[in-house]
Amino acid sequence: MDADREDAARLCQGDTSGLAGLMRRHQDRLFRYLLRLLGDTSVAEDVFQQTWLHVAERIRRYDASRPFGPWLVTVARNLALDLLRRQRPSSLDEVDEPLASASGSDPLQQAMARQSAARVEAALGGLGPLDREVLSLRFEDELELPQLAATLGVPLPTAKARLYRALERLRAKLLTGAATGSAR
Amino acid sequence: MSAHVTELLALAAAGALETSESERVAAHLALCAACAARAEEWRHVADGMRRLPQTRPQPVLVARTREAVEALVAERAERAFNRAALAFVVGLAWTLAIFGWFVFDLVAGELALRLARPIGSAAAWYAAYLLAGWLAAGAAAVMLGRRAQEEGRLV
Repeated sequence: MDADREDAARLCQGDTSGLAGLMRRHQDRLFRYLLRLLGDTSVAEDVFQQTWLHVAERIRRYDASRPFGPWLVTVARNLALDLLRRQRPSSLDEVDEPLASASGSDPLQQAMARQSAARVEAALGGLGPLDREVLSLRFEDELELPQLAATLGVPLPTAKARLYRALERLRAKLLTGAATGSAR
Repeated sequence: MSAHVTELLALAAAGALETSESERVAAHLALCAACAARAEEWRHVADGMRRLPQTRPQPVLVARTREAVEALVAERAERAFNRAALAFVVGLAWTLAIFGWFVFDLVAGELALRLARPIGSAAAWYAAYLLAGWLAAGAAAVMLGRRAQEEGRLV
């Protein structure tokens, strides 16, 4: 984190060696996050580049007493959500998809036995951007709930509820996938 | 199967429960086979999430991004220098303009004394001096603007 502060201070003074350090430490997580949120590699690449340009432009607004990572994600998130709103305004609505019923546990269990990460990834791709985002932040970035809530800009109970809903929808997608697979 | 504990099972697999909730879930699972089976399902889902492929940005994207940011930072530094230079020139111009009035007044008076005849109003000479200065500055601004436009087209 100290290295982040030093590099951010360097970038603030116009020294681009600071950028190299920040990118080296954060580029993988940032790209993964954008890929999950946006669901498209080329769009994620565009927003990835825009994010770093925004960081360079607004580095003076960064509060060095806070960690750099969440600030970076907030910059990326704002850009990505703006883009999603422009492209598909309805994509950010909370979708009340029917959740998996409790009676579906048997097919799920069978499906889970042969479930691979690729199938989870495919199911994840079928979710809305906000569901993918919260799951990615929790499982891929391994953010604890308070950090997750801060990144999403919502109170902790809301973050928890959002995580729960996203998990239920993921499970529903896995169930649907399992049912489709066994019907073939 | 308690509905409330069922809800907690998903969050338990995600490691998003408080200690007291985790203890409650653990106590319930020891007694309820149905919930234990459901908890196992959730563990599979969570494991699948944790084993997702670790995608990385392409090196070419990283290099392109670095170049774009470096260009932006260089452009910003140049803009800052230009702003500072412009502020200095404007300050100097105003200083010379104010100082110039005293010089003109003095020189016009001295000249009139030496020539032993009036040479016209010092204010008129001063106005002509200012006008010439502004015209020269305007011409320089137009020329610089055209040059910047041409450079912009070439980039």
